[in-house]
Amino acid sequence: MTVVCVEGARRWLPALALGLACQAHGAPPPADARAWLQRAVEASRDVSYAGTFVHTNGDRISTVRVTHTNSGGDEHERIEALDGPPYEIVRHNEEMFCYFPDAKTVRLDRRINARFFPSLFRASADVIAASYDVKLGKSERVLGYDCQWVDLDPRDNLRFRERLCSEAGSGLVVRARTLDPSGRVIEQYTFSELRLGSQVARGDVKSIFEARVKQWVTDAQPREEAKGVDTGWSVSNPPAGFHKAAELRRTLPGRGQPVSQLIFSDGLASLSVFVEPNPSPGRTAEASTEDGTTTFFVRPMGDQLVTVLGEVPLTTAQRVGRSVVHRP
Amino acid sequence: MTQELSSLMDGELGNDEAHRAIGTCCASEEQKHTWLLYHCIGDAMRGQAPRRVEMPDAVFASIKDEPTVLAPRRWTQATVARVAMAAAASVATVGVVGWLGSQGGASAPAAVPVIAKGTSPMQPVANTAPVAATAPVSVTEDVQAYLAAHRQVPSPDLYRNVNNNRATATAR
Repeated sequence: MTVVCVEGARRWLPALALGLACQAHGAPPPADARAWLQRAVEASRDVSYAGTFVHTNGDRISTVRVTHTNSGGDEHERIEALDGPPYEIVRHNEEMFCYFPDAKTVRLDRRINARFFPSLFRASADVIAASYDVKLGKSERVLGYDCQWVDLDPRDNLRFRERLCSEAGSGLVVRARTLDPSGRVIEQYTFSELRLGSQVARGDVKSIFEARVKQWVTDAQPREEAKGVDTGWSVSNPPAGFHKAAELRRTLPGRGQPVSQLIFSDGLASLSVFVEPNPSPGRTAEASTEDGTTTFFVRPMGDQLVTVLGEVPLTTAQRVGRSVVHRP
Repeated sequence: MTQELSSLMDGELGNDEAHRAIGTCCASEEQKHTWLLYHCIGDAMRGQAPRRVEMPDAVFASIKDEPTVLAPRRWTQATVARVAMAAAASVATVGVVGWLGSQGGASAPAAVPVIAKGTSPMQPVANTAPVAATAPVSVTEDVQAYLAAHRQVPSPDLYRNVNNNRATATAR
């Protein structure tokens, strides 16, 4: 009898050890809300996953296929838009290759602000928790996985409320909602189909469009621009918790000169400030629009035009737009 | 009757039924508006620019009353005059921003939502520079350009315009 037990243990121990190693990221379950958030932040980077998600912002919907692997700290990701004209983004750590097969063009860029679900974070849980009160919500079964909701309520009225649904085993966010102050959902990401971990093959993150075009036109200028410069502009009164993530000059269509761009982030929400010469006949009054979480605010400032765009409430965009100054 | 109109639009009616439906439709102002409204909705769903209609206010008021799954926030009216909607190519994170412009009366934009020419994700466009656009159209393209720069995901259509100006061809 004893012999049988030992035999069984001998047979199962290696498998058990392997299982524990694979689960190391997930076990034991985090003790508090901030630990859940930190695990979600790390999971978006460290976990291998493949799936299709639906993104709803305001009243618009898009469907995206995403595949992500991490081998030895190296992130590889492939993103393909399933609605509208075809394109894919292949990312290796911060290097982005955007393939537009119809235009036979591949655009090179360096990730600064690009946010692809479920990788919504730009900072650690501690940094995010400085701006949001982090609490545990309900436990729920989503897409066949046991999940834990993590609620982020802003400590001020300068950002939106966030609800993150974290898969219990890996920590990966499988659903995310942004609410306006009245509690309505204004933006949502949700996987409709998801595979985790070992079900994802290394080859799944390679470009499938690259082989379809013989000769790609390469545009490397965005990557050059992403290196950043001193634009001479700054925001004298950035909202609490928002830190400058980058400062660069971007080439926008239809303009003779690159536009100055300052990017701010609180670890979750971000906004861009653009400054450029006000064209003639120029804009003479402030204007704004909001749709879903996206807010757009434009303000003439002398002979310059200031534009703020981000996933923030209008008051935040206005405050930033009105405190743009030229550094002496 | 509205069911009949809907069936008529979808080509589901037989000859006699179709004649009857057309007759009834043309006889009543209300039915004419319904007919127009259905086409506007159809166009919008297909991502085409809505045609200019005789009663835009009534029609778009009706469209406004249509329920949406996730309620979008109301347009802010603070300093703004006109609305032009851009159906931008949706990306992982790229939503679309409508535009409430205040052009101070100069070159008054169209009174109906305009889907910017060549920026609709549904419409394939020729690989050429855009034609000289009217004020509201270029403004909506502007919003898309900022949105693309912010999210680092240019829409394929927008990208082509940029590309024509400066990319260099290299074999890969």
